[in-house]
Amino acid sequence: MAIDKKRLMEIFGETNVIDNETLRECYARDQSFEAGVKPDCIVFPGTVEQVQQVVKAAQETGTPLIPYSSGLNLHGAALAKRGGIIVNLSRMNKILTLDEENWFVMVEPGVTYKQLQDFLSKKGYRIMIPFGAPPDRSVLTSYLERDPVLSANSFEYGNNLIMDTELVLPDGEILKTGLWSAGGEPGNSMGPVRNLIFRLWTGAQGTLGIMTKMCLHIMPDIKERKIFFLTFEKLSAAISSLRAIQRKEIGFECFLLNRFNLAALLNPDWKVPEIFPSFPASSPGFDRLRSILPPWVLILSIQGGPLYPEEKIAYETEALKEVCSTLKIELQETLPQVEDAAGLLAHELLYPWGILKKFNYRGSVHDLSFKSPLQDIAAMEAAIMDACSAGGYEPDEVGAYVLCLERGRALHCEFDLHCDVKNAEEAGRVKGVWLKASENLMNQGALFDRPYGPWAEMVYSRAEAYAEKLKAVKREIDPAGIMNPGNLIPL
Amino acid sequence: MEKKKIIPAELPSEVYRELEAIVGKDWITRDRAILETYSKLSIEGKTTLQKHMKDPTSLHACIVLPATVEEVQAVVRTANKYKVPFIPFTNGQMLCTPTNAKPTICIHLSRMNRVLSIDEDNMTASVEAYADYGQVLADAAKVGLWNGGTPLSTTLCKISSQAAFAGIWQTSKKYGLLDRNIISLTMVLPTGEIFKTGANAIAGVKDFWEYAPGPDLFSLVRGSLGTAGIIVEVTVKLHAWVGGADMPEPPAGRPCIQNFHKPEFDTAPPPDKHRLFWMEFPDYDSEINAFRAIAHSGIGIGLNATGVYNSYYCSQTQEMTEKRVKEKFFPDWNLYVISAGITSDRQIDYEKKVLDAIVAKHHGTYLSQSHKPEVLYALAPWNLDFTRHVTGYRMNRRNYAGGVFFGGAPEIAKHHTKIWKDALSIFGQTYMTDRGGADNTVFLYAVDPAARFNLTETDMYPDPMDVKALQKCMPFMLYGMARNISMKKLPIGFGISLEPMTSFFPEQGPNAYLFFRKIRKILDPNGVSSPGRQIFSEEEYNALAPLMTPLIDKMKKLVAMNPVLAKMLLGTASILGKIKTLTSRKTA
Repeated sequence: MAIDKKRLMEIFGETNVIDNETLRECYARDQSFEAGVKPDCIVFPGTVEQVQQVVKAAQETGTPLIPYSSGLNLHGAALAKRGGIIVNLSRMNKILTLDEENWFVMVEPGVTYKQLQDFLSKKGYRIMIPFGAPPDRSVLTSYLERDPVLSANSFEYGNNLIMDTELVLPDGEILKTGLWSAGGEPGNSMGPVRNLIFRLWTGAQGTLGIMTKMCLHIMPDIKERKIFFLTFEKLSAAISSLRAIQRKEIGFECFLLNRFNLAALLNPDWKVPEIFPSFPASSPGFDRLRSILPPWVLILSIQGGPLYPEEKIAYETEALKEVCSTLKIELQETLPQVEDAAGLLAHELLYPWGILKKFNYRGSVHDLSFKSPLQDIAAMEAAIMDACSAGGYEPDEVGAYVLCLERGRALHCEFDLHCDVKNAEEAGRVKGVWLKASENLMNQGALFDRPYGPWAEMVYSRAEAYAEKLKAVKREIDPAGIMNPGNLIPL
Repeated sequence: MEKKKIIPAELPSEVYRELEAIVGKDWITRDRAILETYSKLSIEGKTTLQKHMKDPTSLHACIVLPATVEEVQAVVRTANKYKVPFIPFTNGQMLCTPTNAKPTICIHLSRMNRVLSIDEDNMTASVEAYADYGQVLADAAKVGLWNGGTPLSTTLCKISSQAAFAGIWQTSKKYGLLDRNIISLTMVLPTGEIFKTGANAIAGVKDFWEYAPGPDLFSLVRGSLGTAGIIVEVTVKLHAWVGGADMPEPPAGRPCIQNFHKPEFDTAPPPDKHRLFWMEFPDYDSEINAFRAIAHSGIGIGLNATGVYNSYYCSQTQEMTEKRVKEKFFPDWNLYVISAGITSDRQIDYEKKVLDAIVAKHHGTYLSQSHKPEVLYALAPWNLDFTRHVTGYRMNRRNYAGGVFFGGAPEIAKHHTKIWKDALSIFGQTYMTDRGGADNTVFLYAVDPAARFNLTETDMYPDPMDVKALQKCMPFMLYGMARNISMKKLPIGFGISLEPMTSFFPEQGPNAYLFFRKIRKILDPNGVSSPGRQIFSEEEYNALAPLMTPLIDKMKKLVAMNPVLAKMLLGTASILGKIKTLTSRKTA
C-alpha cells in the first residue's frame, strides 16, 4: 500500500507533490548503467518536520523512499529500484550557519558546491571539494558519500571534515550526532554515546535514513599558492617521487592526471555540461592536447599559510627542489604545451569541475572508482587495461585521475570508460568492459569502499561477515525496509 | 570499617572447567589475592571505595589469559553458552571491575602483546591487543614513522583499549585522537564471531584504508568501552617522523621511589628536529585568543594549555607539587606549541616567526632564559612527553579517583571553570593538587587543526584511605556530567557516555539511548559483554530505575533538570511530540 497522494499533499502542499509521467520518467535513469524504475511520485520537503512526516507515513504503509538531493551521484544511487517516492531535498537549500571563529558551516542537503563556494569566497573562506564534483552537486550528500576532496592529501583537511549532523531515522525520529546532540551549539563530530557514530551513515546511499543538516570544516581561502608539475612516462614511475615528496609533507593538494583527462580539463573547446549524460562533441583542441601532453602529470599545489604565506611557500619549494634533485626528476612550474596551465589548475583547486568537460567525449562516463595501496597502483592499472584489451576498448580512451590520500598512505583512483549511452551496442560493449575491469580490480585487491550498483554485490560477497552485520543493522533500524530498497544493502 | 568477610561470586563449576580446557590450567585463576589485584588497579576511585565497603561485586569470578584470537573466541562463546558476563582487561587503569553483580569472567589479554607488522609503504602498524604505544613508537621510528602521539595516560596504554575509548595525545592538534587514526580493528564480537573493519573486512584486500564498503560499522565499536566485544588486533595509521631512528627517552635507571628527584631524569631535550615553545599571557582572554590564533595559523603539531597542572606534571615529589601550587610557581595563563621540522629545518624557523607575531599581538611573553628561566627549566619534563608520556602519572602519586572531561571551542575552559567552582561550593573540597578546574587557569588540549574542538579536564585526588573523600568523588563526577547536559552539552567531551548517564539523562540526545539499545541488541544479543556499562537494556533499566531514580533526581534537581520519573513517563521524543500536538490542539 503506497502513501495516499492526498496525504502527501497535506504534508507538502499541492505544488510539492509531482506525479506526472514525464518527470517520473526522468527520475528513472541517470547517466550510469544502472536501471531504475519510475517512482510513484516526487515530493519536495521544505522542512525537517515534513521529512519526518513522510518517513513515518512510509513506515505505516511500507512505501519505499529514495532520498534525493541534487541527483548528481551519477552512479545510480538515487534511482528507485522498487518504485516508491523520491524525496527530493533540493528545496532545503539554506546555508544555516557560518562560524568564522571556529571555521565551519552548517548546510541543508540542497546546498550545492557552487552555491557554498561562492558564498564562502565572498567571506574569505573555502570549502574542500572533490575533483570532478558537478557544481550543482549537493555538498551534504557528496560528503556523506565520502567523495574524496582534492585536499585529501592533507591529513588535517582530508578525510575528517564532517562535524555535527542531523538525521531522520527510518522510524521518523530525529537523531543528532556530534556536539549538538544534547541540544546546544554544534562544534564537533563526537557523540552521542559513541565518538564518531555519524560515520554509520557515510557511504550508506540513503539506506539508513535521511540526513537533513550537516556541519562541515572550512578554511581560509589563501590566495598565495604555487603549482608545480612533474611529468612521467608511466604511472608506476610516479610512485617513488610521490612517496618521497609526501613523506616530507610538501604541498596541500597532490594528484595525478593522465593525458586524456588533462587534455579534457585544459581543452578550451569544451564547456562543463549541465546535464548528464551529455552530448558527444568532437574537438580538434582535445585531439591536439592528447597528442602533445605527457602520459602522466603530477600536480602539486603548495599553499601559503594565513601568516607570511610567501615564506611558507618558499621553504616548501626549497624542500621540493631538494627531493626532485635527489631523485633526478625535473620540476616544472608550467607545462610547455599549454599556456598558463598553472593558472588554470589553481582555479580548479577551488572550483574543480572543469574535468567534467570529459563528458563531451562520448556523453557518459563510467568510472572505476577505488582505492589502492601506493605500491600496487601499476598492477591496478594493468588490471583495467587487460579488461580494455579483452573487450575491445581503446586504452588511450581511458581517462585517469589518481589522488594522493593522507600523504601517500593510499591512493584514490578514478579510471573512466566513455560511451554514448544512446548507442545500445556501444553501451553494452563498454558496460561489459567496465564490469570485467571492476572484477579484475577486485581480484587484484582494489578497495571499492563506495560500492555503487553491481559493485555492492561483488564486494559484499568478499566481505560476508561485514555484510551480515550490515544487514542486521539495516533490519534493526529499518525493519520495514523502506529506505532506498534495492540499493547497496542486499536483504 | 565493619569487619566482614568478602566472598567472591562463583561461576558454575562446568564454566571453570570449560575455560580451563580452553586456556590451560596455568592461565586461569580464582586465587583470591589475584582477584583482588585485578579489581583494584590504579586510577579508579569507585573500586577503591568498593574495597572499603567490602563489596564482593568488585571481584571477578575468575581471570583467564587467552593467548590467541581463537582462545578469546572460545572463552566468549563459553560466556554466551552460560550467559555469563565478561569484561576485556588490559592495563586495568579504569573500568576494570565487573559491570554488574553477576559472577564475571575477566579476560586479560596480556599474552597477546606483539607488534605484528610495521608497513612502511602504507604507513601502518598492526598490533595485538596488549601491545602498547611504546612498542609501536620504538618500532615505527626505525623506518622514519610514528603513530602521531602518545596518550596522556602514559605510553604504556594499550592501543586496543584506547581504540575502544578515544585516545587523546599532546599532538592531537595535528593528528587528532586515536579514534581517527585507526585503519582497522579485528574484534571478537560478544557472540564470539570475528568481525573486521576497514579494508581488512574484504578478503583479498590489504589492510590499508579505514573504510569498509558502504556504511562504516566501525562507528558502532569506536568508543564502546568494551561493550561491543573484544578488540584483538588493531591497525593504526603512521605518520612521518623526523626525530631519529631511536625514539628518544630520558636516561634509564630512574628508581621507582615516590619522592625521588634527580634533575637528569627530567631535563632531556626534545627529539631531533622538534622544539617546544612555552609562553604566558596576562589573562584568560588573551590566552584564549592566542590559542585560537595559533591554531588558525596552521603551525605546530601540538598546542596545549596546561596551566597550574604543571605543578604536578612537572614536580618530582608531592611536597614540591603542593609548594608550587601554593606559590603559583607556574603562570596561570601558559601554553605550549610543539613544532616539528617535517618538511625541512626551515619549517621550525617559519613556525617560530608566525608564533612571534601571534604572541606579540596577544601580549604574550615567551618563557626563556631572560624571562622566568626557572619556570622554563621546571617545564623540561614536557620535552619528551609527547613521545613518551610519563609525567601524567605523577598526578596519580596520591590517588586518581576519576575526572570530568568537557569538549568544545576554546571558551569551554571558562565554562568548565564555572562548573567546577560551583561543584566545590556544593560538595566542598575533596582534593589537594588539582586546581585546574576551579582556579583561574586554562587547561586545554587542541584536538583539531583549527582548534574547533578542544578538551578540558578536571580530576580528583582523594586520599585513598579517606572514605568520606572517596564518597564525594562520585557525586562530583555525576554533577559535572549532569551540569554539562543541563547546559545542552554532552556529558563527556569525547562524545562517549557511560551508564547511568546514557539512559537516565536522555536529554543528551533525542532518541540516542533508544538507538544504542538497538545496536547493543545486534552486537550482544545475550547481554554478556560488559553489560550495563554504556547502555542499559530495557530490562536492566527497569530493574535499576527504582533504586537509582531517587539519587539521579537529586542530582538533576541540583542542575535544574526535570526529574527522571517525569522523563520516564514522557518517554521518547515521539511521545513528547504527541503530547505537544495534543496540547496545541486543545489550546486551539
